[in-house]
Amino acid sequence: MTEKAQDMNVDQGVVTVDADPFSPEALRNPYPLWAQLRDAGPVVWIPKYGYYLMARHAEVQAAQQNWQNFTTSGGAGMSDIRKPGAWRKPGPIVEVDPPDHTKIRKVVNAIVSPVVVRGWRERFQRDANALVDGLLQTGRFDGVRDVAEAYVLKVFPESMGIDLNREQAIAVGDLNFNSLGPNNELVQKSREQVAPFIEWWEESLKGQTMKPGGFGEKLFLAERAGELAPGLASGLTMTFLRGGLDTTISSIGSALWLLAAHPDQWQLLKQDPALVRGVFEETLRLESPIKTNFRTTRGECTMAGITLKDDTKVQLLLGSANRDPRKWSEPDAFDIRRATAGHVALGTGIHACVGQMIARLEFDCVLNALLAKVERIELDGTPRHRMSNALHTLDELPLRVHAHA
Amino acid sequence: MPKIVFVKDDGSRAEVEAAVGASAMDAAIAHGVTGIIAECGGSAACGTCHVYVESPELSRLGALTDNEDNLLGFTAADRLPNSRLSCQIIMSAELDGMVLRIPDRQI
Repeated sequence: MTEKAQDMNVDQGVVTVDADPFSPEALRNPYPLWAQLRDAGPVVWIPKYGYYLMARHAEVQAAQQNWQNFTTSGGAGMSDIRKPGAWRKPGPIVEVDPPDHTKIRKVVNAIVSPVVVRGWRERFQRDANALVDGLLQTGRFDGVRDVAEAYVLKVFPESMGIDLNREQAIAVGDLNFNSLGPNNELVQKSREQVAPFIEWWEESLKGQTMKPGGFGEKLFLAERAGELAPGLASGLTMTFLRGGLDTTISSIGSALWLLAAHPDQWQLLKQDPALVRGVFEETLRLESPIKTNFRTTRGECTMAGITLKDDTKVQLLLGSANRDPRKWSEPDAFDIRRATAGHVALGTGIHACVGQMIARLEFDCVLNALLAKVERIELDGTPRHRMSNALHTLDELPLRVHAHA
Repeated sequence: MPKIVFVKDDGSRAEVEAAVGASAMDAAIAHGVTGIIAECGGSAACGTCHVYVESPELSRLGALTDNEDNLLGFTAADRLPNSRLSCQIIMSAELDGMVLRIPDRQI
């Protein structure tokens, strides 16, 4: 990898780094490259793909907050969805700017408002308790398959009012997050996996199958009432599935891994269960489920005193920003008492995660259930992370727990 | 450091120092002021750090963002004209002495 101060294509001040953030090596272990990219400069040019990249906390956060200059309307991934040959339509809320975004967000905010989500707590906690009771039968289980996936793929679809096939949901999620990156082997492979059922999948999300009382139905009712434009409800249903499943599964899986690997932190949590909130935030910071996403420059704009050209993709490395030593002391350490305010895992500004109170509730209930019954939690084998362009998640997490005497 | 006076539902007052650039919510949490929950950790997503700004500083606060405006529609206690989310009040020297009344409930 080489660095040079200037490139024919880019403005002065932007350091060119001849690296591929999506190479198999970088996907397997991104941390050395992330450190190199952070140290190279506040804004970096990646010639392989012809886009800017931000790896430091300050610039990633500033770009998230500046939708005027760093729009999502060109798509949250590497390819520009507005350009000829685009293979998909814009997401109906994530990839839309104000003023349209403001109206849609308001409707969605009301449908999954904090008050609504709080009303699910009893059911969510009951389900988490039942799940943990089941695990304690043997005390050995997989933290991803048997806890994170089993739980999230039960309570989230139920709240939405939809039946989901577990393997299909995971395969679609895999494709969604791979699609944020380049059209590489990972995309091809996940596309092949969903091919047999993707048509049925999309059809089943068009409203007919939404059960009464779920928030999915409420989206369609809002559309019928004219609060959402025609066609938007089914798109928003997809958005919720895209944003609400794999990310939360990732956060629960990573937290179990971190707590098993750091018994001192588990002890702190046992002594003060109110620290569950700290575990959630610190897990998102350290093991950010969405490693990366993209914006597109709108107009010539400046960042950290550097001029960026118009209509160019900008890769935001959320996982790197959340481990930037310029922002965090001992950034690679897992510390559930850390002041985590300002991490960028859920986004900030107008596109901040709209379902974050749902994720918090799921996380809270699972950890509460474990804390109530489990004395010790430990690794029972080697955890395995998934290869993905944009999602950071475990696929396997063998665990062993010891119940309270 | 500028000070904030939190007035609780029972009328008791807590005067705390707040770092410039930090939020009023941060100051409340750092000093153990009860009644500010901040479930979402300050990302303006939960509406549980709701306060009433009871002093002239209200006019010095920036305009509500669409998001804060939205969330104030979902607070547990009634929304009043002086309602704000304390996580969105960023402290500066000119807010010294600001009085924030904490509602009787956040959830």
